[in-house]
Parts: sequence; structure tokens; C-alpha cells
Amino acid sequence: MIDVKNLSKDYVLKRKEPGLRGAIKGLFRPDHRIVPAVRDISFHIDPGEIVGFIGPNGAGKSTTIKMMSGILTPTGGSVLIAGRDITKHRKEVVRNIGVVFGQRSQLNWDLRLGESFELLKHIYQIRQEDYDRTLDEMDRILGIGEIIDKPVRQMSLGQRVKGDLVASMIHSPNVLFLDEPTIGLDVSAKYALRKFIKEINRVRKTTVILTTHDLGDIQELCERIIIINHGQIVEDGNLSQIVDRIAPYKTLVVEYYDEFAPEHDRCEMTEHKGNVARYRFMKKDLTAAEVIADLSKKKTIKDISIEEAGIDDIIKIAYES
Amino acid sequence: MKKYLYVIKTQIIKSMTYEFNVYGNIIMQTIIMITSAYFWRALYKGQGMVGDVDAESMLTYVVLSSVLSVLLITNVERRIEKSVEKGTVATDLMKPINLFGVYFAEDIGAVIALVFQNMLPILIIGSLMIRVPVMADVHDLPLFLISVIESFLINWLIAALFGMIAFTAVNIDALIQVKKHLLRLLSGSIIPVWFFPAGVARVLESLPFVYIYQLPLSIYIGRGTRAEHLRQMGIQSIWLVILAAAFLIAQKKAAGKVMVQGG
Amino acid sequence: MKNLFRELIHYLDVTAHVIKMAVMTVIEYPSNIAGWLISNPLQFIMGFAIIKFVVESFGQINGWTYGQLAFLYGLSVISHALSMIFFVQGWFMGYYVIEGEFDRYLTRPLGVLYQFFFTNINIFGVTDLIPGILVFLYGCVKCGVSVNLTFLVQVMITLIGATLIRGGIYILLGSTSFYTRSAVDFGQYTQEIMDKTTMYPLSMYPESIQFILTYLIPVGWISFYPAASMLGTEGVRSGLTVSLVTLGVGIAVILIAGAFFNRGLKQYESAGN
Repeated sequence: MIDVKNLSKDYVLKRKEPGLRGAIKGLFRPDHRIVPAVRDISFHIDPGEIVGFIGPNGAGKSTTIKMMSGILTPTGGSVLIAGRDITKHRKEVVRNIGVVFGQRSQLNWDLRLGESFELLKHIYQIRQEDYDRTLDEMDRILGIGEIIDKPVRQMSLGQRVKGDLVASMIHSPNVLFLDEPTIGLDVSAKYALRKFIKEINRVRKTTVILTTHDLGDIQELCERIIIINHGQIVEDGNLSQIVDRIAPYKTLVVEYYDEFAPEHDRCEMTEHKGNVARYRFMKKDLTAAEVIADLSKKKTIKDISIEEAGIDDIIKIAYES
Repeated sequence: MKKYLYVIKTQIIKSMTYEFNVYGNIIMQTIIMITSAYFWRALYKGQGMVGDVDAESMLTYVVLSSVLSVLLITNVERRIEKSVEKGTVATDLMKPINLFGVYFAEDIGAVIALVFQNMLPILIIGSLMIRVPVMADVHDLPLFLISVIESFLINWLIAALFGMIAFTAVNIDALIQVKKHLLRLLSGSIIPVWFFPAGVARVLESLPFVYIYQLPLSIYIGRGTRAEHLRQMGIQSIWLVILAAAFLIAQKKAAGKVMVQGG
Repeated sequence: MKNLFRELIHYLDVTAHVIKMAVMTVIEYPSNIAGWLISNPLQFIMGFAIIKFVVESFGQINGWTYGQLAFLYGLSVISHALSMIFFVQGWFMGYYVIEGEFDRYLTRPLGVLYQFFFTNINIFGVTDLIPGILVFLYGCVKCGVSVNLTFLVQVMITLIGATLIRGGIYILLGSTSFYTRSAVDFGQYTQEIMDKTTMYPLSMYPESIQFILTYLIPVGWISFYPAASMLGTEGVRSGLTVSLVTLGVGIAVILIAGAFFNRGLKQYESAGN
């Protein structure tokens, strides 16, 4: 569905020195510097995938998604959507994509929500019966029927997000891009958004690409993640496989009746505080049951729990590398 | 006082950060000044004194009017409008620092930055391309400077009073435009009101606008006697007092009104 | 050819809908109209008053009589009003560049520049149109212009060309924001310069400036040359020729501006990077 080849983007940065002196200096000799934001990345996305882009702020994930959706012109490389280059055939290719960008709304603030959809109907030349069918479907998933006649300026953030989601899907695109869609949303709005993404992916087989800082989004939605740092792809693959590879261990948390905690020769004791000790062991070498059995031979155990390496651990490791 | 000085300094730095704005402004203002100069040259072709002023004095008037227009900028009305729009008025007004003091300090800061950024370049360009704006009588310099300071204050107070309308009506964009047009025409910044029919001119001389541009410029080019100038500066001062009083009253009322709404 | 036709229909359809939405927005906030209904005509009534007062003091401006000046002024204000309706967004292009507002236009299957101007069509511009037409008609009467078909065609072609020249200049100025990455509101200045160069006879400037305003920044074609030709003030009347040149200049300016805009758009950086 999407082919990204050797994609790069440089920004020209104008540096401004602080203070009055810097301001005066900037007046006569502005300082330019080229900053690479995305460096030579390539990947392929199949139809029907949900792919999550994660990475720290300024890592280049927004830049990447904006190049993929035709907003930014790449410095080098290409983005093909369904085999067509989006930079060269923008008007044609964007008919096939929908976009929801963070807190930026494409709805008309002054008019009722339905008017924004009507405009899009004309822009995308949607036939009336398709338009009606899409709106019905969207109403089923998001329940927008009750807000469609409300002026956008009177809507809550959650309702506006729903409006923007529908606006992005009104022309039934095959690809949906979402840049930080859950930022600033409350729990129920987040839930509605995730449900929406899952539904359109299941029913319409829409390919979904999203960037997020919210690990819940990733866990709930993405089978595949691409981790970007310093403008390059650090990891790309199946979420659980990446977890297995980067963090191939589990942690057993054991509570004893006093402060003494025995060592285990094949585990690393990562923490020991009061009566509680944490043992980290490799999944391929040992099972939790074995560790428990070994430890209980040495000392009476009061309570245990097992911690899997979470996605946040993965990200922490990936960011540091 | 220190707080306000800090605001002034910050605004100077802020104003100087955008080099393109600076060059763009100079170019635009230069073009406006030069087109005005040719406008008057065309009018004065083959004519001596019109309206008690000759062509040379009129060109001085044009150059100095451009220079003055750089100093007579205000942002206070936009600031008030923004603060109403964003709904931060109530908290802004309750801050321990006087809100209008801050706006005034900001405008002063912007003007100081503009003296170097725009005013001097415009003065130099005007001197080179149109005419060195020599003062008719150097002894009038103190009068001229005092009248400029008063005209800055009058201009600022009118802007602030207009801005306060934002406390009641929501959108003052159009009103700001009306004010701008009125000021341009009625202050003598483009055409001195002595070219207007006598009746109109007389009415305008009892309004505050001509004391923003036309009075200091008349003193500079020496149109009229010193006695006339002093009399007009008297009217200018009266208007300053009236506007200041109106401003203080309006400020109190606005604060009260916002408090009530806020509570 | 057939595709081109279909595309034209598409754009017209969207335009019609956008105008409908703009009218609905105006109806939604009727209090805003009142302000502009006073403000915009006031500006031109005052501008016209200035001309009247000046002509009364000096007799004429560079050989142009009061009636001829009204004709020139009216013609200029009408094209100004049209440019306000269709192209005023160009003044705020810097803001759109800085705030990343072009994102949404780039992800829709229509020309970016078209969307930028037409989804923000400014119905309030009509408030400029009315005083323009009134002053123009007044000038026609004062100059004793015989209103026939040729005259109407001349005026129509001139107005289209003049509006395109103005729009092109707004686009050129606004597009500089892509390179400078600062939001400069050129509106006030362009307005003032255009006033000075299109509402008074161009012939009052020295030849060097006339040359610049004819060939480099072709604002002379907005009102001065067409008016001079229609009234015969600067020599000969020339039928449709001058109007057609105005139209040609307008098309050229808008094409150059469009190319400059598209080049800038490639450097567009959205917001928050």
C-alpha cells in the first residue's frame, strides 16, 4: 500500500542569539544552519496494517508522517501510495488518504458540523448515496447523529475530535494518517477514538498510520511499530517480537517475611528494598515456576508477582540506543 | 517602575528579532513617503503659496509626517481585544501590575526599537531623496518636542479608549479600522486640514485629531505664528487632560464590569 | 479537453458551495457586518473627499479634472473591492505559513492556492464595492461618458485584469513568508501604496517611477492607463487595446505569482518542528 524509499528531510534553521545584542546581530547577519530531521529511511506498509510511529519529541516522526501525507516536500527519496508518488501526483493521491492532525481541526468553526461534511462532499465529489452510507456507518461507530446539527464552536474537544475523524473518512480513503490523535483527550474520547480506528480497520480494511506518545494507543491498536530516533528507524516490526528481542526477560517480584533475600545464581537481583526483592531472568533459560521453586527451597516466600517487560521499557531502551 | 522597564526592554528585543519585518517596513514606508512627495510636487507645479505654505515646506511636512508616523504606533487596542477573546481579561486585570501600564510600557518599548530600526532610516532616506527636513526656526524646537510627546500620549489614549470598547462589544476589528481611517484623514497626516474648506477645518480644529500630526508638523515648518502655536498647544493640553480623565474613568468602569462578570 | 472541462465543473461546484457557506457564516454573525458596513465605505468616502478638497485648493491634479479623478478613483476602488473579495487572504499568508494552516489544503485534491483563497472567500468585500461603483458612476456622469457596449466590455475586461494584478501582488508578497518564515501582515502597506499609485494619475510621477509602475510592478494598468484611454486624458483613446493589455498583464502577474507560491510551498515546513 505504502512504499517509502530513502526518505530524507532537511530543515533550514535560523538561529537567533538571546538578548538585545543577539537581536541586533541577527538584524545584520542572520545565521542559517541545515538540520537533518529525517535521514534516509525506507519501509513498506501492507494494506490493512495499523502501524504506530513512536519516538521522542523531535525524532522525526511527525516530519515523516507529514511527508507521507503530502504536506512536506521531501529533500530526498520518495513516498508511493498505491504505487503513485504523492509528491508528484499530490491531487490524485490525496483522494486516497485521510488525515487527522492532533489538535488542528479542519471543521468550520462558525457553522453546524454537517456543513463541514457537505463541503468535503463537494471537494471529494462524493456521490449522495455513498455520502449517506458513510455518514450512517460513522454514526453507528461514533454516534455523531446527535452532534451533526450543532455549531462546531459549541462542541467539546471530544466531540470535535469525533467530527474530525468523520471528516477524515468521509471520502472513504484507503489510508488514514493520524498525528498525535489522542493528545489532550479525556479517557472516554480516547476510548471512542481507539474504537473508531479498530472498527474502520476491521470493516473497511483501512490502512492506519499513527504517531503517538500514548503507549495505550500502541498497545490497543498496533501490531507493528516503527521506532524513530534522530531521524532514523531504530526498530521496525511486530510489537511482541520487538518486545521479545529487546527485552527477552521477565521480572519476578518476591516478598519475604523479613529483610533477608537469597540470591539466585541464574537471575539478576535488580532491586532489594525492605522485604521485597526483584529477580530478572531470561525467558529462554528459565520459567517463573523454576525460579519460585529454587527460591522457596532457600527461604519461605510470602507473596509473588511476575512483571513482563512493558512497551515503555522497550521505548526507553530504544531511545537510549 | 522596574517592572515596566523590564516590559519595555523585552518588547525592544521582541521587536528587533524579525529582521524581515524591519526591512519590509522601511521599504514600504519609503515608498509611501516618496509617492506622497510626488503627489505634492505635481500639485504645486507652477504654483507658489497654497494654503500659506510653499512646495518646499510641504515636502518637509511629508518627510516629517512619515518619521512621526513611525513613532505613533499603538498595539494597545489589539492587546485588549486578544485578552478579551482568549478570556484572560479577568485574571489580567486582577494581577498586581497595572494592565494598561504593561500595555503602555510595551508600546514605549516598541517605539524605542523603532527609533533605530525605522525612524532614522526613514529620516535619512527622506533627506537624501526628497529634502532635508530643516526646521523653520530652531527656537521652536522645545515647543515641537513637547507637542510631539503630547501627540504620542493623545494618540495612545485614543487607542486605549477604543480598545476598551472590546470589553463590551466582542469584535472591534472594524472599529479599529474606522478609527484608523478617521485618524488618517482628520489628523492632517496625509493632507493638512488647512486645505479643507474653512468650515470643515474649523470643526476639525476643535477635535483632538489635528493635534496628533498637524500641530507638531506646523510648528516644525513654521506655519503660523508662535502665539498661534502656543494657543494650539493649549488646546492640545486640554485634550490630553480630557482624554486622560476619560481613560481613567473608563479603566475603573471596565475593571468593575469584568470583576462582576468574573464573579 | 474533456478532463479539463470536468475539472472546471468540479472547481465551480466547490466555489458555489463555498460561497453558500460564506453567506451562511455572515448570517450567523450579523453584528460583524454592521462594523464593516460603516468602516469600508467610510474609508473611500474620505479618500474621495481628500481629492475633492485638494482639487478645490489647487484646481486640478496634473491636468486631471475633478470628474476625471472621480472616474479614475472609482475604477480603482471597484477592482480593489473585487480583490478584497477573492484575494484578501493573501495579506495573511504569513500567518498560515507559520501556524501550519496549509496542511489541510495540501491533503485535499484541489489546487492549494485555490483552496487558500476560495475557502476563505470574503463576502464583506462587497462593502467596498458599493462606494466604488457610486464614485465611478459619478465620474462617468461628470465626464459625460457615453455608456455603450464597447465601454461596458472595456470596463469588464479592465476590472478582471486589474483584480488579477492586485491578487498576484498579494500572492507574491505573501509567499515571501515561506522563505522568511515570519508572519508579516502586508495588508496595510500594500493598501496604502496601491491607493497612492492607482487612485491618482500615474503621470504625476517622474518617468523612472512611471517606468517601474508600468513594467516592473505593473500597477499602472490597474486604473491609470485604462482610465486615460477611456477618457482620452493623456492623448488618444485606444478602444479595447488598453483593456486587453491590462487583462494580459493580470494573467501574467497571476501566473508568475502562482509559480513563486508553488516554489515557496515546497519549502513549507508546517508547524511545530
